[in-house]
Amino acid sequence: MINMMKADLYRITKTKGFYIFWILIVLTYLLNIATKDFGGVKFGGGPSLIPEGIKMDIGSVAMNFNFYFFSIIPVFGIIIAEFSEHTIKNTITSAISKQKYFFSKYAFTLLYAVTAFLFSNYAFYFVNRIVNGTEYCSSLSDFSVAFFRQLPLMIAIFSLFIGLAFLLRKGALFNAVTIITPIVYTSASVTLYTIETTQKLAEKLLNYDINTMLSRLALECSDEYRRNCYCISAAVIVLSFVIGYFSFTKRELN
Amino acid sequence: MREIVLQTKQLTKRYKSFTALDQADMTVNRGDIYGLIGRNGAGKTTIMKIITGLTEATEGEYSLFGQNGKAADKRKIGCLIENPAFFGNMTAYQNLRYYCLQKGITDLKQIDDALELVQLQEARNKKFRKFSLGMKQRFGIAFAMLDNPDLIILDEPINGLDPIGISELRETFHKLNQERGVTLVISSHILSELYAVANRFLFIDKGKALKEVTKQELDLECSRCLVVKTDDTQMAATILENSLHITNYKVIDNGEIRIYDENAKPDVISLTLVQQDVRLLGLYESGVSLEDYFKQLVEEESK
Repeated sequence: MINMMKADLYRITKTKGFYIFWILIVLTYLLNIATKDFGGVKFGGGPSLIPEGIKMDIGSVAMNFNFYFFSIIPVFGIIIAEFSEHTIKNTITSAISKQKYFFSKYAFTLLYAVTAFLFSNYAFYFVNRIVNGTEYCSSLSDFSVAFFRQLPLMIAIFSLFIGLAFLLRKGALFNAVTIITPIVYTSASVTLYTIETTQKLAEKLLNYDINTMLSRLALECSDEYRRNCYCISAAVIVLSFVIGYFSFTKRELN
Repeated sequence: MREIVLQTKQLTKRYKSFTALDQADMTVNRGDIYGLIGRNGAGKTTIMKIITGLTEATEGEYSLFGQNGKAADKRKIGCLIENPAFFGNMTAYQNLRYYCLQKGITDLKQIDDALELVQLQEARNKKFRKFSLGMKQRFGIAFAMLDNPDLIILDEPINGLDPIGISELRETFHKLNQERGVTLVISSHILSELYAVANRFLFIDKGKALKEVTKQELDLECSRCLVVKTDDTQMAATILENSLHITNYKVIDNGEIRIYDENAKPDVISLTLVQQDVRLLGLYESGVSLEDYFKQLVEEESK
């Protein structure tokens, strides 16, 4: 499994996706630092949740929904590329079993995405602190608390993408599902909100869309809300792992 | 007795109501170049996919190097199943380096050795997507040879190759087999090409293993001969040897003798057998091409 991970690390550095991923992250954070303002992709109730007077670095953490879209890239490069190029059969036929292949890919992709998430956020924190000073920067502990509260949900998102990659196998389908799902979720919730009888359900749905969860976890939220978010994350991790594992090991490889 | 490298027993693969492989038995000994012959869709790739772990058998079992197939060390096997597939954006060297890392191969000289063996050393730094079809096939074989496997499984390796490429590949197979002692299992629907390289064959059609023969047996079955049909082969054989001094013959079954002696004359044989009270049911010349032989096997099976 270690050999597989080494090989994946070697290969991923040869892909365009690797550089696009890091360039996007660097550009996003540089823009935040340069404009002294947090920014990012906004769906649902996210932006309104960030109160006035919040420091820019914590605001940026609350807008970490960007990472939802960024993390599609490494999952695509590490897993989907093997299916689309049909190179997966080379590994299965002469290196390891399908089971070990799944565990190895799952572990490596998760490790890579989490490392990228941690590294980019901390790099942003320190660069922001150096460039903009304490006026735009919280203490390291406040930043870490805000940021680590999001980590279970981010792991759930990465795990969901890995599970989907093994389930869907096709690049276009994977991209479509991962990109469109939050948009569809939010649109459906907003539509339900306009109907009087489903307003309460819609409120709940909007409260638990990915963007809102990431924002509220980074900012202030009730213990119950946080607990619910972590329960959802745990369920997503388990489900995506199980679905990914069985859909990969039980289905035929073409 | 030679070591059995690969053996399948009653290997069956069903996809809902379609049976892709039906109770196939095959035995590959160490040092064999084993040819799987069959039409497109006969079940050749299915056998290979099961053996290499790409799919699971519905029934039956297989062993590799004396171990249960699923538990066998995959690093002893090199494979190329269906079309060669590698990362198009990576060079030949980078692709092989990736698989070296996967297999834990630290001696990177193997990459250049493998490329040299398939005459691709000049394409070392060329991206895979820029390879011609023939280059891709050869590169697939270079991949299969990484880590000096004991068994190489190649599915239709000559597809897309030009005549010179085919000839070079044939030489590579012989070189691997004779110099490195590698056992090869090669599938093809091109009978003449497989005949030129393999020493044992399995004929397969509609998922059924029809016949497993050595090259000598195949030569014998296909070569020109006189077929004597009689109800007393023992008596006829004695007469052939004692009266006509014919020793180059083979009793096929209870009713048939095949004479391979080029000087054997049908009229003399017929007269001698009849004179010595052997009931002669038929006497004719035979000798079939590989294609005809395969057709006969298929027809016999479908009866």
